[in-house]
Amino acid sequence: MRVADLRTIRAVSLALLVAGCGGGGGDAPSNAIKIGAIFDLTGPTADVGVDYAAGVQGHVAHLNASGGIEGRPIELLFQDYAYEIAQAEQLYSQFVGEGAVAFMGWGTGDTEALRLRITEDEIPFSSASLSHVLGDAHESPYNFLVATSYSDQFRIVLRWIAEKHREEGRAGAPTVALMHNPSPFGLSPWVQGGESYAAELGVDVTLYEMPGGATDFTAEFTRIRQSGAEYVVFQNTSGPVSVALRAARRLNIDATFACLNWCANALLMRLAGDDAEGVIGAIPYAPLTSDAAGVAPIREYLTSIGESPEERTNAYTQGWWTFGVFAEGIRRTLAAGRPLTGANIKAALESIRELDTGGATVPLTFTDEDHRGSKGLRLFRVEGGAWTPHTDFVTAPR
Amino acid sequence: MSMECGVYHTTYEADTGLRRLPAERIRLGIFILAVVIFPFFASSYWLNIANQIAIATVGAIGLNILVGYTGQISLGQGAFMAVGAYAAGLFTLRLGLPWGLSIALACIVTAAVGTFFGIPSLRLKGLYLAIATLAAQEIVQWLVTHWPALTGGTEALVVPAPRAFGIRLNTDFAFYWLAAALAGGTALFTANLFRSRAGRAFVAIRDQDVAASVIGVNVFRYKLLAFATSSFFVGLAGAMIAFYRNIITWERFTLETSIIYLAMIIVGGLGTIRGSLFGAALITLLPALITNVGRSLQGSAPALAAQLPNVQQAAFGLVIILFLIFEPEGLSKLWRNVKDYFHVWPFAYRRGDGGR
Repeated sequence: MRVADLRTIRAVSLALLVAGCGGGGGDAPSNAIKIGAIFDLTGPTADVGVDYAAGVQGHVAHLNASGGIEGRPIELLFQDYAYEIAQAEQLYSQFVGEGAVAFMGWGTGDTEALRLRITEDEIPFSSASLSHVLGDAHESPYNFLVATSYSDQFRIVLRWIAEKHREEGRAGAPTVALMHNPSPFGLSPWVQGGESYAAELGVDVTLYEMPGGATDFTAEFTRIRQSGAEYVVFQNTSGPVSVALRAARRLNIDATFACLNWCANALLMRLAGDDAEGVIGAIPYAPLTSDAAGVAPIREYLTSIGESPEERTNAYTQGWWTFGVFAEGIRRTLAAGRPLTGANIKAALESIRELDTGGATVPLTFTDEDHRGSKGLRLFRVEGGAWTPHTDFVTAPR
Repeated sequence: MSMECGVYHTTYEADTGLRRLPAERIRLGIFILAVVIFPFFASSYWLNIANQIAIATVGAIGLNILVGYTGQISLGQGAFMAVGAYAAGLFTLRLGLPWGLSIALACIVTAAVGTFFGIPSLRLKGLYLAIATLAAQEIVQWLVTHWPALTGGTEALVVPAPRAFGIRLNTDFAFYWLAAALAGGTALFTANLFRSRAGRAFVAIRDQDVAASVIGVNVFRYKLLAFATSSFFVGLAGAMIAFYRNIITWERFTLETSIIYLAMIIVGGLGTIRGSLFGAALITLLPALITNVGRSLQGSAPALAAQLPNVQQAAFGLVIILFLIFEPEGLSKLWRNVKDYFHVWPFAYRRGDGGR
């Protein structure tokens, strides 16, 4: 046999080997409802991603233990994607190829990257990115925003500031410093509705960027002190915000601090300790320490598997209820006797009116015009090292 | 009757050919055949991965021209890909140019931007140059996230789908052909580039820039040319992403992207085209492989599967370290070793001169 022939055989067998690597997949019951999910367990947002993932998985296990949805078990196809968009795309096409009818996304990057693809594939998609545009049913017909959008959160905080300012009988316009992550995520509350509402309220807002990886915010706080800002609102994750809080306390900045969703969690307390005392938090999902009825089953479930609810953050509630909304959409589709397709689940989700989550969130409503299910939240305040309800449920200003 | 025991080229044309040996031509033929057959059997999942590999190959060849062939380290890969992607998207979106023209213009724009950021290479070498190109990465990333009028800012830039002959070209199947053709074209151009005067000048600069200038290579000019050529293809990779995905977000082009591409060409083999392909394929397939291993363990060994995401991070680093230790010349050298081993297998021991 000539050398070239041997090589031909080698190459062909190698090609066959490579081609044979496909396939795989689980061996769950054939009537299982498949839902795809990507989680950040090791990437830059893993600090909150781990609890979110556990919340989703917890709810799936909880439902399966009680017979699934309409008697059909749920099979969660999930994987860590470490916040890498290319990985998210791989996993998305893999899970959809395996028959996932809905998909639970995570960050802004992957959600934006997949936005057109899910519309084409008709796959209802949730994400933990709360960018206002994702709730626009015309722009992104298959994206569902289960929590209060960043700009609605910011508007609620701005209104709270304006009211407090008036009640305290202070003169002039309240001055606010918005310290934000140096990315579209950071600017989202401002450009997607915060700016116009601040002008309407007559609140004076100045933006300060928090450079990525910064360990010192002295320059920013010196400027904030000179500007005389009475309120500092953070749109960033717990890590950098705790660094900033420590710096602010050290420099004796006399201001009220407020956190939007991604720094208003138990992690902030762990990282900032006493410096987090008195911080206001815009929290769309009740912490697991709260006594809300919607949190009780979560606490029970965690206790039943031998975990302590106190060790989980409100990202767990968020994961639990984000999946809960999709489960409701699937339940309604099956109850109506319709085939379980993405388009039918979307229609079922759009039929949800005033879904009661037992105080874990405000009642959720989706329509075919508006995919922002939650329009309000509760403001919390750190008191004695725990997030304590500070206001009742409030709705974002229109 | 005389017997030939070897391949003898009797003309200059034969001796300077790209594929000089029959075995090489057969291998190439099989490879092309596999590329042509593959999409008809592959699922959407594997087509998606193949497209990612094709795009990564174009980007890796681009980076290899600069790092592997010319010896100029660049950490600006992500930035140049961003320039290519946003330029291609904006030409189509704002000026309404057809997608083909947009891609071509985006490549030229990226080449210009790359050349600009290549200017410090006149004075800077090695790590210092790496830091200078890091500046390119930061500056471009800042512009992309802070210039909403141009780039869409907080919202992603949605690019119209490319179409030809009434077919949408960014489905997994249709894009495969475009991506394979562009990757093939890039490889062919680059293979020929390094048989030209300019390509030889690049290699001379890499090996010893002072010596290169002594033998008459205009070092500055050719360094800039290397930056331009490299950025041209890196921009092409970015433009391909723009049209494949229809949507451009800044998070795709971070410093991490630059580092992953460096990893591709190191693992694949610096200064080889084949290595760029191998590296792109390995770095794309490695997470997919670990994912599938992890998922098969989810049923049988959940505790082990839960640890796998961490393994994934470690595996990535481990692969690079192992290559640096055991095969610094990368997968490309490994492939050559395999070929050499089988050259006369199973008969005789052959002096390890590496064939050619």
